[in-house]
Amino acid sequence: MIASVRDDKVFDATRAAQENTILSPRFYTTDFNELDKTDVSAVRAQWDALIAELRSDPNKKHFVRTAEFDADFSNLPPDLDKEFRDFLISSITAEFSGCVLYAEMKKRAKNRDIAELFTFMSRDEARHAGFINDTLKDLGIGVDLGFLTKVKKYTFFRPKFIFYATYLSEKIGYARYITIYRQLERHPERRFHPIFKWFEKWCNDEFRHGEAFALLMRSNPRLLSGANIYWIKFFVLAVFATMYVRDHCRPAFHKAIGIDPTDYDFTVFRLTSEISRQTFPLTLDIDNPRFKRGLDRLYEIAKLNEDARAVGGLRGKLRRASLTVAAALAFARLYKLPSKANSLPADIRLAPVW
Amino acid sequence: MNLLSSLRRRSFEAACTVEIERSAESLHAHVVIDGDCELQPGDEVLVHNPPTAAQFGERIFVRRKATITRAGLPERLWTRLAGNFELTELYDVSFTERRRL
Repeated sequence: MIASVRDDKVFDATRAAQENTILSPRFYTTDFNELDKTDVSAVRAQWDALIAELRSDPNKKHFVRTAEFDADFSNLPPDLDKEFRDFLISSITAEFSGCVLYAEMKKRAKNRDIAELFTFMSRDEARHAGFINDTLKDLGIGVDLGFLTKVKKYTFFRPKFIFYATYLSEKIGYARYITIYRQLERHPERRFHPIFKWFEKWCNDEFRHGEAFALLMRSNPRLLSGANIYWIKFFVLAVFATMYVRDHCRPAFHKAIGIDPTDYDFTVFRLTSEISRQTFPLTLDIDNPRFKRGLDRLYEIAKLNEDARAVGGLRGKLRRASLTVAAALAFARLYKLPSKANSLPADIRLAPVW
Repeated sequence: MNLLSSLRRRSFEAACTVEIERSAESLHAHVVIDGDCELQPGDEVLVHNPPTAAQFGERIFVRRKATITRAGLPERLWTRLAGNFELTELYDVSFTERRRL
């Protein structure tokens, strides 16, 4: 799941009329010569096995709705209804943007291994987006493809940044979905919508995608050494911090499924850190009390920023500028916390056993 | 002259295929430009009169024209550089831009 889409929504949970969520993906290009040079020969046997698994399409028949989806969900409490809609809209946004990014990569890559991988990943993300679209339709939310009529401008990212970000997004996506799934498995009475039942196999897709990037990076060790270690730390921290801040804006959703957002996020951090030891030469010290304090500070700043946005005008703008500086400093302090070195295991592959 | 012309933006038209599927099996929308048209940082593509109103369960393939505007050299270099400062766009763990719904 990737962030190339922003969602602008026309949104009023109390209104029964059709709402629309407008997908506006960004379009990316990269250094395709460099991407094509990615060599998986050091992990050839494992790579071929993984691609064969992707080709066999284990989840082909998974995303089929059942009669459970036809039930009436209009009686959810208003705050939960609003947050659940936001959860679905932001999920479809992430899946759809993954589909667009991967399709761009597959179109241009001449390296057969890379092209194949992105083909299967794009297929999976489009399928996930379709499944969520179906649920959104039940809730009366349309998905607007108006972006097709607009000018598409191509933004550039270096291949290694795409690898780090995609690997993390896929693995953290797995950790998020499986944590919700396990919680609701223990507390089925809290499962307020059937879509959560699909999460277990669904997130195996994310896990598989992540495995491919683990192999790809391990096969090109310079991506995991030297100055790149600083980039890796940056990406891990940025992804964790973003998730922490954003999850805390959905209190009713977390209350409904019975997990405190802080506990949920730390469970996901722990799991993602454990998984990422297959690839990354470091993990963040998430048990350091200063780590949580730093995240809380970022969340506080985000709330203040929202207040400043509401104030508007020059005063609001100045306030937001100073808060941006404060956020950058808080982030820098988190970045400075010592991380834990990790020696990479000889056997790279992991199974989704959590 | 070559250097001078590389500084300017220039546009050309090409045919393309727009593929949209909106169903429970897949939601995607792809534009494939004919020929070997490699898009570079900062380039822009505008599809003429694309379909957008795919109904649920529909799959659309249409041929259209697209205008491709090549970025000039300065813009291309700038877009490459700017990519380093927009890294947070590359991931999404969840989900909404706003902190409060």
